[in-house]
Amino acid sequence: MHGVKRVQYSQAALEAKKQRDHDKLKAYLALSDDVIARKKSHDMSNEAFELTTRLLRMNPEFYTVWNYRRDMFIESLFPQRSPSEVNELLSDDLSLTFELLKQHPKVYGIWNHRRWCLEHIPDGPSPDDVNGYRNSTWNKELFVVEKMLDADARNFHAWNYRRYILATMPFPPPPKSELAYTTRKIEANFSNFSAWHQRSKVLTTLWETGELDRVKSIEEEFELVRNAMYTDPDDQSVWIYHAWLIGNGNYAARLQFEITSIQELLDEQPDSKWDKKALVDSCLELLAKLRDIDPPRRRRYDEIAEGIRSGNEMQ
Amino acid sequence: MSGSELPKLARVAHAGHCNRCLSALPSSHIQIDASRLAIGFYCFGTLDLLGSIYEKTKEIEREGWREWLWHQQTNRPYGTDPEEYSEYDTPHLIMTYTAILSLAILRDDFEQLDRNGIVRFLQACQREDGSFTSFPNGGESDLRQVYCAFAISSMLDDWSGVDVDRAVSFIQQCSSHEGGYGQQPTGEALGGTTYCALASLYLAPSVSDLHAPNPHVTTDERRRTIRWLLQNQASSGGFSGRTNKDADACYCFWCGASLHILGVGDLVDRTAFLSYLASCQFKFGGIGKAPEDRPDPYHTYLSLAALALFPLEDADPSWKLPRLNALWNTTEDTADWIRQHVPLYTVKAQSPVRK
Repeated sequence: MHGVKRVQYSQAALEAKKQRDHDKLKAYLALSDDVIARKKSHDMSNEAFELTTRLLRMNPEFYTVWNYRRDMFIESLFPQRSPSEVNELLSDDLSLTFELLKQHPKVYGIWNHRRWCLEHIPDGPSPDDVNGYRNSTWNKELFVVEKMLDADARNFHAWNYRRYILATMPFPPPPKSELAYTTRKIEANFSNFSAWHQRSKVLTTLWETGELDRVKSIEEEFELVRNAMYTDPDDQSVWIYHAWLIGNGNYAARLQFEITSIQELLDEQPDSKWDKKALVDSCLELLAKLRDIDPPRRRRYDEIAEGIRSGNEMQ
Repeated sequence: MSGSELPKLARVAHAGHCNRCLSALPSSHIQIDASRLAIGFYCFGTLDLLGSIYEKTKEIEREGWREWLWHQQTNRPYGTDPEEYSEYDTPHLIMTYTAILSLAILRDDFEQLDRNGIVRFLQACQREDGSFTSFPNGGESDLRQVYCAFAISSMLDDWSGVDVDRAVSFIQQCSSHEGGYGQQPTGEALGGTTYCALASLYLAPSVSDLHAPNPHVTTDERRRTIRWLLQNQASSGGFSGRTNKDADACYCFWCGASLHILGVGDLVDRTAFLSYLASCQFKFGGIGKAPEDRPDPYHTYLSLAALALFPLEDADPSWKLPRLNALWNTTEDTADWIRQHVPLYTVKAQSPVRK
């Protein structure tokens, strides 16, 4: 599966490995059978709970066991316990899932269990402060997801989780601070499309709330993207983000400026006339060039050229 | 390189790989233990595509697998109320989809299929926003589950378990500005979820034809999705699953099938495509995600499924594969079997609808 590495072994080492594998499998299967049997017989004891911890450490993708664990929380561990004790149990599970995520950063079941824990934090610590536990726990989540994104800046589970936290936490940081986070990620690596993507979402929010002036902001974004373009014109992320910016403002002057910019990048003379025929010829010329330099998409460029020609003829 | 210069497809070796995986998997694969039904499907599917189910397996084995599959069917919700699913019942939507396909590949008569139970199960999995969770009232929800719900309903020819309008609305919200579809609204476009979205939208009742415009996909969404998908074909010929990621054999299916569904399969560079997948073949059998990588049933099956969708005229006969039903992700022969045995009422005289 994704991420399983190949290693070379000597004959003796191979035998030893086989034995270890065999023992590991035997232990796993025995534990798995035990836990499933207990689940079937509705065993809600502490002992069963500990066994699920052990099993989930060996196989965090075993969704049935995460379900069983949650079942035990609701049916037997939470009732008769104070909010502070419940909060502690959930904190422990948040620690457990964080530990597991470091080894298994893309397992749906672990991220899912984390969300469940967050959503079940009890009121407390006191009647005057019913959101205390929640605030303190949720505030740590951004730290957790940042660690995950430091390890793998393209992990879409982590990015989706980040968006969930920002949308749900009681006192989220202002969108401008998220904008700054995307700037940091982009500056660390222009080809991190996930960061550019997040940026597009945050900017849309900031424009909608009026916190940032849309026209001015788009100007700045074009500047940012032009830097990226000139630094690494082969980077796909930059062009997709550029296309998104273009789609967000229909300003003829801006379009002309961008076209000129890109032509300079192509080492061409910027064109000053923009009548329809010039545009059509220019497009067809570019498409012919693209056919040569980008063979995998030859047929696509042919199709587009055909569309331009037939559209042109129809006029 | 032309089609005739490609290495052969190592059919026997790949069938061998999946057969071995059906017997046992090493401890390094402990984490897919809970997904055995999915792994089973990738193995059965590979044998089906290679036409070697009957050659390479014995009737007693097939009987055993069918029995094992039926053993996984939950006959009633776990919990005290026999009519309602509780939050902690664990029939799984994706496993249900792969189980039905596996049983069809093994030519089961589906007498034991609890159709009403499945419809109730789908209802219990659908959320307010139209998406579906993996299990009733819980679990993660994203486009994979929506696709499975749609595929199951379409195979049952019974959509009473799904609020189609709400589900379609959820899918459309997942459409990304890049083109393609993300896991959830605001998510980045991914190859797998793009397939799930498009296959669902084309499976939806009232959509009849792969080549007619789809009422649930705007012209703009279609155009930018095609562009995004095509951009994901690397110069090696393989497809990546996202902007700026490496090519991976499984995305040859997810992205390739998406383009096929949109009716623009001809725009794929077929020779490069084949040549990439040919190079992902592992010397002892099976296909990995990239050249030199270890193989597994998932990449083996999806590579072959992708190859079935994009046959190359002048390639060696070893590359000839049966026609694939891109929407259900199984051979057309197996799809025919499904049409004849899975719905409650089947009209045998009618010619099957070609999807």
